[in-house]
Amino acid sequence: MSKRFQGILDTITRIRGVRGAMIVVYQDGLVVSDSLMEGVRGNAVAALTSSLAKHVANATSASGAGVLQFLHLQAISGALLAVTAGAEMLVVAIADPSVNVGLVRLELIRAAEALT
Amino acid sequence: MADDVKNLTAELIRDPHSMVFLRLGELLRTEGQLDAARKVVLTGLERHPDMVDAHDLYARILVDANDLDHARKVWEALLQIDGRHQGAHKGLGFLHYGRGDLDAALDHLELALAADPTNQSVVQALRAVRNVAESVVAEDPQDAFAGFEGQDRGLLLADRQGRALAGRVVTWQGVDSTEVVAAHLAGITQEMERAVRMLKLGDWQRLVVEATDGNVLLTSPSPDSLLLVVRDRDIPAGRLALFAERASDAARSWLGVQTP
Amino acid sequence: MTRTYSIEPWVEEPLAAFVAEAGARLALLMTPAGQVIAQHGFTRAVDVMAAAALGAAIVASTGEVAKLLDEPAFSVLNHQGERHGILLGGFDTPQGRMVCLVVYGKESTPGLVQLFFEEFSRDVREACPEPEAPKQVLASDFERELNDSLSALFRT
Repeated sequence: MSKRFQGILDTITRIRGVRGAMIVVYQDGLVVSDSLMEGVRGNAVAALTSSLAKHVANATSASGAGVLQFLHLQAISGALLAVTAGAEMLVVAIADPSVNVGLVRLELIRAAEALT
Repeated sequence: MADDVKNLTAELIRDPHSMVFLRLGELLRTEGQLDAARKVVLTGLERHPDMVDAHDLYARILVDANDLDHARKVWEALLQIDGRHQGAHKGLGFLHYGRGDLDAALDHLELALAADPTNQSVVQALRAVRNVAESVVAEDPQDAFAGFEGQDRGLLLADRQGRALAGRVVTWQGVDSTEVVAAHLAGITQEMERAVRMLKLGDWQRLVVEATDGNVLLTSPSPDSLLLVVRDRDIPAGRLALFAERASDAARSWLGVQTP
Repeated sequence: MTRTYSIEPWVEEPLAAFVAEAGARLALLMTPAGQVIAQHGFTRAVDVMAAAALGAAIVASTGEVAKLLDEPAFSVLNHQGERHGILLGGFDTPQGRMVCLVVYGKESTPGLVQLFFEEFSRDVREACPEPEAPKQVLASDFERELNDSLSALFRT
């Protein structure tokens, strides 16, 4: 099982500028599997992304935009991207600010589809 | 009329794969027999899932049944199959107009007209919506987002304490959720600030979100304010970002005027 | 408003920060023997004493399980219920091992609580002064200290 997860994550981390990718329990913010560069705090990425995603999901629902599927937080020194994999999981990537967001998004969606 | 229904029904029973279900469904719809029309068209769609006119008919039945949100989804799905389908663009134009989103209505009606420039009903609808759009802009020059697409249903300026300052958010069902969404924005911003601080990502610039029924962008036009843009799924992220930039400029100007 | 109270003043700030960041509803910092050092969110002394006793008992029993498995002591235990979750975590300080019992609701997550618990344990370790030389404990001192502790924990 963990080899399967690792394979899924490796396709994301192969993209230039991606510092790490992980599968996270959506509601708990705990790491299921990760593939991270040294220095990336996996548990922090997982917990903070899950918490942000929960808040965002409440807002998208309230605004009539429906159920959250993808989020991209762009910051000056990096970016955080996540795709929901069903109601249970999130596939998350942390990346450099100049990463190819479109490509990461596609790989995250593919990873989420492989998980569900 | 009743005979037509009877004859078409008999024909469909003889040959369940026949395309006659489309005429029968349309006839039932115009007679107001919406449940029967829905059954006929859904059964037909099971056999002909790629038949775009059947999807269009189904969406029009849903509109007649006042299930507007569902109708919108059907037309949007149809456009994934045939991006130039006139009926879908015309229908979406009608739905957007009903919600007060005049720019989106104009977009769809223009696409509908491009598909068939001779269609007089589309020409008239387009003319009527343009007139209304021009009068709205002229009436409300003081509004923060006057003239902006979706200013009255998908553009919201809020402060960091979660209070709405300008603009509105209205759901597809017509529910004004401005206050609720503004309150959520304060929590989201705290979450983003904590995440970028702990993960050493530097100041956040924007949050882009895709959801099942819309795309959302959150940015901060000034240190004390937040700007939320909510749009249909068919608006690409790049266009959303450009639009948000323009709306941010407008918000900054408006905030400058409001500040004593 | 819910307040954070402590017997040791250097604990108060890290505990208040932890509770705020993790979105915890209740928190109890104690020694493995169940002596309470600080609390947040409890309104009755009897609840604090009961929670401390139960927390200490869980730490003791899981410690025994760890020994049976030839494992070092478990650092964090997490249980999730329908509406609440509890985290029981231990960490070492210059004054010995400390245990923290945290109760959180749906507004938080196990991931967030664990993340900020790590920060909290680090902050407490850094703030913790070196232990004073041990003094002889008398029965009369014990009762007075217990009453002083309860007063400090509830600011009575």
